Amino acid sequence: MTQSRSPLAKIGKGLQILLLLAYAVFALFPLLWMFIMSIKPDSQMLTTTFIFTPTLENYATVLHSDYMQFFFNNLIVSVAAVLVSLVVGVPAAYALARFQFKGKEDIAFTILSFRFAPEILVILPLYLIYQRLGLYDTYFGLIWVYQLITLPLLIWILRGFFEDISPDIEAAAQLDGYTWWQVFLRVLLPLVKPGLVAAGLLCFIFAWNSFTFPLLLSNNVQTSTVIALRYLASDTVHYGQVAAAAAISALPEVILALLIQKHLVRGLSFGAVKG
Amino acid sequence: MASIQLSGLTKFYGKRRGVEDVSLEVGDQEFLTVFGPAGAGKTTTLNLIAGIVTPDRGSIRIGDKTVDALEPADRNVAMVFESYALYPQFTVYQNMAFPLRSPKHRLPAAEVEQRVRHFAAMLKIDHLLDRQIQALSNGQRQRTALGRALVRRPDVFLMDEPLSHLDAKLRHSMRAELKEMRSQLGTTTIYVTHDYLEAMSLGDRVAVINQGRILQVGTPEEVYFRPATVEVAQLFGDPEINLIVAKIRNRQSTSVRVQALGEDWSFPITPEIGSALDKLPGDSVQLGFRPADVTVGVNGNSSLHGVVYSFEPLGTKSVLTIDSVAGQRVRALVDGHRTFQVDRRIEFSVPSAALIFFDPESTRYLVRSTRTEGGD
Amino acid sequence: MAELILKTLTKVYSQAQSPAVDQLNLGVRDGEFIALLGPSGCGKSTTLRMVAGLESVTSGEIRIGNKLVNDLHPKDRGVGLAFENYALYPPLKVRDNLAFNLRAHGLGAKEINRRVDEIARTLQIQELLDLKPAVLSSGQKQRVNMARAMVRRPSVLLLDEPLSHLDARLRVELRTEIKRLHAEQRFTTIIVTHDQLEAMALADRIAVMNEGKLQQFDTPLEVFNHPANEFVAGFLGEPPMNIFRTVVADSGRLVIPDTDFALPITPAIQKLVGPRKELKLGIRPWGIRVSQTQTDAAVPGVVVVVEDLGDETRVGVRYGEVLIMSSIPITRRYRPGLPVFLNFNEEDLNLFDPTTGERLSDGSYQANQTAPETVSKNEIQAPVSR
Repeated sequence: MTQSRSPLAKIGKGLQILLLLAYAVFALFPLLWMFIMSIKPDSQMLTTTFIFTPTLENYATVLHSDYMQFFFNNLIVSVAAVLVSLVVGVPAAYALARFQFKGKEDIAFTILSFRFAPEILVILPLYLIYQRLGLYDTYFGLIWVYQLITLPLLIWILRGFFEDISPDIEAAAQLDGYTWWQVFLRVLLPLVKPGLVAAGLLCFIFAWNSFTFPLLLSNNVQTSTVIALRYLASDTVHYGQVAAAAAISALPEVILALLIQKHLVRGLSFGAVKG
Repeated sequence: MASIQLSGLTKFYGKRRGVEDVSLEVGDQEFLTVFGPAGAGKTTTLNLIAGIVTPDRGSIRIGDKTVDALEPADRNVAMVFESYALYPQFTVYQNMAFPLRSPKHRLPAAEVEQRVRHFAAMLKIDHLLDRQIQALSNGQRQRTALGRALVRRPDVFLMDEPLSHLDAKLRHSMRAELKEMRSQLGTTTIYVTHDYLEAMSLGDRVAVINQGRILQVGTPEEVYFRPATVEVAQLFGDPEINLIVAKIRNRQSTSVRVQALGEDWSFPITPEIGSALDKLPGDSVQLGFRPADVTVGVNGNSSLHGVVYSFEPLGTKSVLTIDSVAGQRVRALVDGHRTFQVDRRIEFSVPSAALIFFDPESTRYLVRSTRTEGGD
Repeated sequence: MAELILKTLTKVYSQAQSPAVDQLNLGVRDGEFIALLGPSGCGKSTTLRMVAGLESVTSGEIRIGNKLVNDLHPKDRGVGLAFENYALYPPLKVRDNLAFNLRAHGLGAKEINRRVDEIARTLQIQELLDLKPAVLSSGQKQRVNMARAMVRRPSVLLLDEPLSHLDARLRVELRTEIKRLHAEQRFTTIIVTHDQLEAMALADRIAVMNEGKLQQFDTPLEVFNHPANEFVAGFLGEPPMNIFRTVVADSGRLVIPDTDFALPITPAIQKLVGPRKELKLGIRPWGIRVSQTQTDAAVPGVVVVVEDLGDETRVGVRYGEVLIMSSIPITRRYRPGLPVFLNFNEEDLNLFDPTTGERLSDGSYQANQTAPETVSKNEIQAPVSR
């Protein structure tokens, strides 16, 4: 019986692989295109065939400019934003998952609603306030405003994870002789680790890719996403350099994602359903 | 080792009553079962003692100190949760060793190892010590949870329905094993259950609780044979106790004639029953009798008559539901070898010794014949 | 009403897994009440769903009233199914819930009303007819659910765990009602359940299933008293049967090695044991009599557990890893530590092969694994008019 079905099954399997391949090409093509552009000389930029003389010149130009300075700026504000979000968001998510208090759902919804409005909507008042407070063009100012992006995400993903842990487990650990803080560190945190990793990475990506806020709220403390604009000079557009800058910029995300892929898949499939 | 004293414990969750005015004393090394249906307030009681929930009113003493102001960790109680509450990221060994590595109960590593192995062997999970929790069956998880509580040697054990998630077969054998183990531990224990067999089998005494209030505290024999109220009587036994209202027709010194189930019948009474009946304001009394006590006759001298409404064989025993003359149904538990056809006329009787008398107004226990439960 | 025949019925979900239902043969007589009993995942619900037409058949036949229904649409099979989770239509009143599929079958309003009223009377839900499902208790919902399955007068009534969501008291009550209802109406009925008491109480015959395969198909008492294999023996009965491994010793006794357990092998047992050196012994707690007098046939031991349970006392004696529980009339005589003697009632002994788990049989008893055409003519309980 198992033999009779096998040719059909094989065809099915082959078709499946083919479809997945097609999708992979479709999804990855922009990335591939970007990479190809980054190693094309300016003169051959607009050819649509794949025949060109590969060059590293674009990378050299970008790396020799002050681009790396802005790259590190981005790294500083994004990592710091994620860290602040973790410090604030983990307790907040725990509280929203565990405690019953007045207005709990309203608070949770308000936090989520920060993600509803497009950034451009609030940027003008923010700009004015930042000017007044002297937060304009500071690391701290950017890290702070990034919380609008990262905090809701983190809280909502982690809340689902905390809700998944039975309160009995906490009570059990307390009866086993641990203080609440020890319970939190030794029992709860390890249990939400996949969620923590996934949420942290997502926050990092969103913060890293943020464009509107750094564009309008800072000048010298600029991030790599915004600085890529400079290659769109008034006279020409250096597509090759834009592509090279973008490729460098995408590198940390790709490396991070590959490193913690396992956690990411578990964390997202978990939290997404629950959240 | 310690006694426990609860006085006037009250806890409301918003408007919903968890428990109200619960007072209980549990002696040193006593095994008390707290029995009641779902939502009766059993788990709330345990959580209050453990300190997981704080009471609105009332006080708890463990040993000779009041623990109301103490954190759960400082009360030296160990609890087995209904959900087991095992730490999923740890192995069986790590779960069991966890309390012994805590700041409160820390022991040298060698002694931790020795204790965990000792209790793992006792619970027959010594071959599973390196397993992850996810890889365990329900029964094995239950044993691990028990083991985690046992290693501590606490003052008090609190057990919240530890057997309820096991299948029926395992439940029976675990119950027997738990009872066997009890004698080796000798720790004061409060055991919560909704299964009357567990309550009776394990408890030195049983506290019957419903809707947040304690209905009766007594030995298993007391709550089964002399239930404080009709409600308690209904909670013990499967199928449920039969309850009928009898009108007293004629009361003599050694017997009484009643009308019940649509028929006149009489039965002998003791002086004790007689005086209890005399104190009743009206002429009716509520009678309870267990299905197992009903004798279904064939010899023609039984006092009651009926028609078989339904017959359900259960193996060793069968449940016979009888439509009495008055229409009220009576359940009888008969030997598994007998069969009865639906709609057949039959006779049955209830031995007077099996009758439990209740006040029809207050539904409180009045009296029953002094036959010692169980003959010898 | 009709008879139902399942012939080598098989359901395979995926080639990688073993079949959910494997070559199932069952013959259900007209008016008979059958229970499909087994643990979760044994294939009982899949079987029911195949009969109802909610699940396709991989191979084999389903015949209702001698008509092959494998490929018929569920509504054309003449089956009524009461779902485990009630599945009542929330916006409709009880009356409309009951009338729903009668309307679908194009019956006249008068006839529909007549039938709804009739079934409501049978199930004692007349006063619920104008209520919405949301306000009903779980017991009432289950009655409505069953009424809906019965109102179209199906040839076969299918009940999927009808009592599993009810509390204990209601379960016993409704169990009696279902039994009574069947005695009156005599629908051909299949109930799926994991509760052995429910199956025993309700069914004329029980089909015990495990891992997709039929283990035994017989009357409740036959399944209970003569289980075909170790699985059936362990699955039925509460408290469970004592089942343990014994070795045939040179002394002519069955022993549990390194313990005091030694049971003399009588000629009748010897016939079953044959040349085996090891076998599994099964005995229900009621088959053991506890006494304090020594006889040659009695097995000595020491009481380790005593449970006083009101109507009965259970006494446990330990032999190494094995705890043997006996159930005796209530007594205060026994306490842990007391030496006693266990007398095993020979009629209640069950012997199983230690490797296959099959019941050892001398041929006088045959497990009733009948092909559907040769259903034995067991007497069915019929109602006798008053």
